Amino acid sequence: MNLTNLAALAAELLLMPLLAFSIGLFLVLLMRRIGARLQRRVGPPFFQPLADIVKFYAKETQISHGLIHDIGIVMAVGGYVAAEALLPMPGMNGLADKGDVLTLIYFLMIPSLGLALGVGQCANPNGSIGISRALTAMVAYDIPFVIVIFGVAWHYGTTNLVDMIAMQQAAGWGLWDMPLLAVAGLLSLQGMLGKQPFEIYVAPAEIATGPMVEMGGKYMGGLFVMQAFQLYTAGALYATLFLGGGDGHWPTFLLQVFVVMAIPMSIAFQFPRYRTEQMISWFWRWPVALGLAGIALVMHF
Amino acid sequence: MTPLDTLFILSACTLAVAWAFGRRPAAGGLIAVLYGGQILALAKMSGLASGALTMIAASPSFEVLGQALSWRFDGPAWFFALITLGAAFASAWFMAGEWGEGYRRKGGRLGLLQVALALNVSSMLLLLASGDLLSLFIGWELMSWASFLLMLSAGGVAVRWAFKYLIYALGGAMALLGALAWIHAQAGSLQYAAVAGLFATLSPGQAWTLVLAFAAGFGIKMALLPFHLWQGPAYAETPGPGSAFLGAISSRMGLFGILVVLVHLAGLDLLDRLLIPFTHLDARDLLGWVGAFTLIVPTFIAVRQHDARHLLAWHGIGQGGYMLIGVMQGDALGSAGGLLHVFNYATYQAALFLVVTAVVHRTGTADLNKLGGLVTRMPLSFLVMLVGIIGLAGLPPMNGFVSKWLIYRDLISSGRPLMFVATVIGTLGTIISVYKLIHNTFLGQLRMEHEDIREAPWSMLAPMLGLIVIVFLTGLMPGLVLDWIAPVQAALGLPVLDHSLGGVDLPNGGLDMLWVVGLLFAGFGVGALLFLAGNRHRYVHPLDNYAGGHFLTTEVRYHYSDDFYPGLMHLIGGWYRGSIQWLERALVSALDFLAQWSQAWFRSAQPALWLLGVTVFALWWVV
Amino acid sequence: MNAVVLAVALPLLGAFLTPSLARLSLPLGRLFGPGLLAFCLWLLWGIARALGDATAGVALGGFAPPLGIAFHLDRLALLFALAVPAMVLALWPWGGRPREWSLTLVLAAAATGLALSGDLFNLYVFYELLAVASYGLIAANQRPAAQAAALRYLLLSAAGSALALLGIALVYTQTGTLNLAQLALLAPVSLDGPLGLAAFALLLLGIGVKAEAFPVNTWVPEVYATAPSRLAGLLAGLVSKLAVLVIVRLLLVVFQRPEATQLMLVLGVLGIAWGELAAWRARDLSRQLAWSSVGQLGIVFVAFSLPGETGVLAGLAVALHHLLVKPALFLLARHWNGALEGLRGAARRAPLAGALFALFALSLVGVPPLPGFWAKFVTLSGLFAQPGPLCSLAAVVILTATLVEAAYLFRTLTLLFGPGGEEPRMAPHGALDLGTATAFAGLLLAGVIWLQPLTGDLHGIARQAVDMDTYVDTDLPTPRP
Repeated sequence: MNLTNLAALAAELLLMPLLAFSIGLFLVLLMRRIGARLQRRVGPPFFQPLADIVKFYAKETQISHGLIHDIGIVMAVGGYVAAEALLPMPGMNGLADKGDVLTLIYFLMIPSLGLALGVGQCANPNGSIGISRALTAMVAYDIPFVIVIFGVAWHYGTTNLVDMIAMQQAAGWGLWDMPLLAVAGLLSLQGMLGKQPFEIYVAPAEIATGPMVEMGGKYMGGLFVMQAFQLYTAGALYATLFLGGGDGHWPTFLLQVFVVMAIPMSIAFQFPRYRTEQMISWFWRWPVALGLAGIALVMHF
Repeated sequence: MTPLDTLFILSACTLAVAWAFGRRPAAGGLIAVLYGGQILALAKMSGLASGALTMIAASPSFEVLGQALSWRFDGPAWFFALITLGAAFASAWFMAGEWGEGYRRKGGRLGLLQVALALNVSSMLLLLASGDLLSLFIGWELMSWASFLLMLSAGGVAVRWAFKYLIYALGGAMALLGALAWIHAQAGSLQYAAVAGLFATLSPGQAWTLVLAFAAGFGIKMALLPFHLWQGPAYAETPGPGSAFLGAISSRMGLFGILVVLVHLAGLDLLDRLLIPFTHLDARDLLGWVGAFTLIVPTFIAVRQHDARHLLAWHGIGQGGYMLIGVMQGDALGSAGGLLHVFNYATYQAALFLVVTAVVHRTGTADLNKLGGLVTRMPLSFLVMLVGIIGLAGLPPMNGFVSKWLIYRDLISSGRPLMFVATVIGTLGTIISVYKLIHNTFLGQLRMEHEDIREAPWSMLAPMLGLIVIVFLTGLMPGLVLDWIAPVQAALGLPVLDHSLGGVDLPNGGLDMLWVVGLLFAGFGVGALLFLAGNRHRYVHPLDNYAGGHFLTTEVRYHYSDDFYPGLMHLIGGWYRGSIQWLERALVSALDFLAQWSQAWFRSAQPALWLLGVTVFALWWVV
Repeated sequence: MNAVVLAVALPLLGAFLTPSLARLSLPLGRLFGPGLLAFCLWLLWGIARALGDATAGVALGGFAPPLGIAFHLDRLALLFALAVPAMVLALWPWGGRPREWSLTLVLAAAATGLALSGDLFNLYVFYELLAVASYGLIAANQRPAAQAAALRYLLLSAAGSALALLGIALVYTQTGTLNLAQLALLAPVSLDGPLGLAAFALLLLGIGVKAEAFPVNTWVPEVYATAPSRLAGLLAGLVSKLAVLVIVRLLLVVFQRPEATQLMLVLGVLGIAWGELAAWRARDLSRQLAWSSVGQLGIVFVAFSLPGETGVLAGLAVALHHLLVKPALFLLARHWNGALEGLRGAARRAPLAGALFALFALSLVGVPPLPGFWAKFVTLSGLFAQPGPLCSLAAVVILTATLVEAAYLFRTLTLLFGPGGEEPRMAPHGALDLGTATAFAGLLLAGVIWLQPLTGDLHGIARQAVDMDTYVDTDLPTPRP
């Protein structure tokens, strides 16, 4: 690998997380504006999410419960920063050919682990309950999610995200070829983002916001950053798998990401909350059934 | 005198030293050094690992009953021997020093433990070196009995479970003996070449009987379903370093047996040809699915455990299922994944068992509901457990991720969605279970009675830290271990995996751990920078916690530990029916009933009348 | 060669002389029997060495068969004839009364005669003598349980003897001779039909009483449990093997028919199943060992039922192994009497005895490289080599029975080595018992070390035993037309 390639790669590795974060901020704004409209409010101004994060980082009182608490937040943010390099953007592939979609999925588990460790050190039972529910929720939505990943990988014959985009550019969006899988993917996305009716792990009134109970200052700021990254990553991954990754054009890509994210957000604000076992039971039935049906179609036609 | 002879002699010396001096804690260091010496002797045979040599024979060979017994090392033997000796070395190092003294002080039989460990190692080396089916059986029996001795050594509750293990193990041994005798009767010889030739000529019925007999015989040692009930408690009740050794490698001897007999001698093609009527499954699928269910069921049994050792022991059974799935896939990626998992699993499982033992040593309990918050008192032990659980869960950057990635990748390429989902279910169960382990032990509230405990001593920390360094390095550079696996695949007749130092380079989605781990740590670096860019933080007292207006005091126990996953258990709690436990009890009752019947016959009151009746019957039969 | 008669005659004579000698001087009487047996052992050893690989027939009194009685000396007969004085010496009732010494000498004489006999009449006589000696020895114990056991044994044995006599009568009417060599020539024709088979069945059941064959083995547990351990060891170890030897001789020489071997196989399988199952629920050690003995003898039956050289080899291996192990176990059980529950922790106070028990248990179960494994392996291999489902079924039964045996033996062992609660209420093992058991263990381990030459010897013995031409030629040297 010569010097120009190395320089280009370094630039991409810096740019991709930065862009992801920025787009994520706007996705947070989108979420809050949609929520506001559905609740007949105006909603926050344009740069509110960024302002919130700056406020958190700049607070005077920053309480930590121990070194693992700190490391947990570092892992939560750092994991996502690293994951962005594996998720291709229009014009930038980053390290997507050194690690495929399976690696990306595992990278997305690292922030959750970091958060879990940090919350554990906080020693607040509300937080631990929240993590317990979050992990249980993971058992729920991950199964249809990996079914979808399997189906998509089988259909394209590859687990390399760059190749998947290329194939969709040649042959058309995955959405038309794998409609059932796309729906199942959208449903599992609802669980992955922790949006109502699947936000049991937060449960603000019941367990005092769960994992966030002892987070303040830059710790809460870190969680906000993580949320921005999470919204972007979910949307971008879905767009890459099913919508051709924007066909290599930034406007199309951004539009796809925002539309894809708008769907769970709109659904979310209209629902109350499922209990944990209801969530598991629901996920193990309908999205799984759809996903398996989708795989059957994909593998036999 | 071949290098293999040197290894055997060293092993016998270790056994002798353990017998003579094992009960003195001071001798533990010498024994650990001897195990290190055995590793060096093994390293002398590293030609087997690089593929330069295919076989190193041992000098002794006998002929009994017309059968030639010989011993030799090849690629697979070297690989498994490395893991065995590494686990033994770590366990022995752990035992030498404070743990041994403490064990002795509490009335444990340290000498018996040392002897049992050395006997296990020697018999495993003998098993791995077998050059024909008869010496394989002899080694298998010796190893089974040695494991029995190791499980017994703690006394008390352990004896009951060791006895249960014995029954299972002997049942498996009888299946193997029957298969062996049948092969001897048909082929006249138990040399590997003759056996392979026999397998090629069998009718489906005969082949099925043999395959099932061998799978059952070896599978019982691996605790494959439905023979899984003995291993969890039996390994958990073995004294600490013993359980680390057993968990790391003992069950994998069953996998070795399956590799030698079913994969190499019988061949996966034969297994493909054995169809199960009325389904589209064959014997290979059957074994793969047995592996899948072995992965899922024991993992979810582990979720319910609240004793740390039992939790780890049940996970051990589950991870064996991964290895079987990988091996049964039979192609380069899958089999490499399965074999790599044997190595990876041994490293982090040994570390986890050792750290749990260290916690028990300091706090006196392994009950997850009675621990908590130890990270402030035992930070290095926390680090070991953290690396261990990341490995066990299969997350990057540790080595567990690579072997799981290989298996997943292979399942996708070969188009097996249901198996893929089954393995993912297993992984998810593992993740939730290991988080509970680390949360209940090291995170959360520190108990009053544990305020004064200290970090584990260096004699215990050193082997644990060494193990996690190996876990990380082999995660960073999996090519190192994949180099050793290539000759194993070649020797077993499996396709060899093309790999690089960092992983595999596939055209349709590969893995390069050097880049991946580098990326991860770069991300962590950025995260750290962002963190430090914020305002200064300060540390607060653990009791300074949001409690809804209440004051927290040290006597108030607010650590969330018991019934950690109530939501999940609400749903799946009713699925734990214990059917196989019922089956076990039913078999024992049936045996009791039959035994009572036979005893009654012996006690019959009128022997002469009975004899008359028998004579009449005999005459009738004759005429 | 004629001196071999001394091996039978001397112990008989000694049996008559012992009471008088003992009244004269007790120590002399005590040493007289063992001295005689040692002499017989030396004598037989010399004969065996002189004979080497050949066979010899001894016509007693110079009367040639079929009129006179004959002894047939081949390696198989001499092997067992050597085993008799050796075992009786090892298990000699040193602490008994003179009448017990007499009866033991009678037992030794009868057993030697049984091993060496060459015709049915002789076999029957010595068998009856053996039975009478064993009645006396068992009944020597005055306890009511022992008397009841002895009575049951007497009934069964007497009935069995009657059956055996009936069988011999049948043979005589069909063929007109009782000499085994002549029967070998005549049997294929005269004993071919159902009458011949009936004769075999009768003989099998009759002699099978001593051989602990199913279904005539109901006497075994009570007798072994109540008789003195040395006697139990002698009966279980030596006498039963000799009875099996007689049956095998009959099978090989006279009744070479598939139905006969099938009958033996079936009885053997039933014996294994019944014995091991009953042992599972045993509540004291002697009964457990007794039932285990029944099971092991079932395996011996099954092994000998295999045709040809393999059968004799397998049967010999299992029989010899049991010959070593069972008496030693009974010796160890002597001081471990009473309920099994009461033995908790007993081995911790007697570690050598515990280790020996473990060694013997491992060998019984068949753990390589101990001899028990090789014996089982040969048997199983031979069974699987036979066509037909019955032999494979027998093999599966043997494997399952081994599992059950291991279960109860090691249940006992974990009890023995378990944490002992109370004070030792039983005396430690006698030095003689322990020493003898150690000697047996040493022989067992020697068997492991010298496994190759040992199997070679056994092969030779087996080959010679099935060679009917040599058998006939030895006893009937006159040229046949």
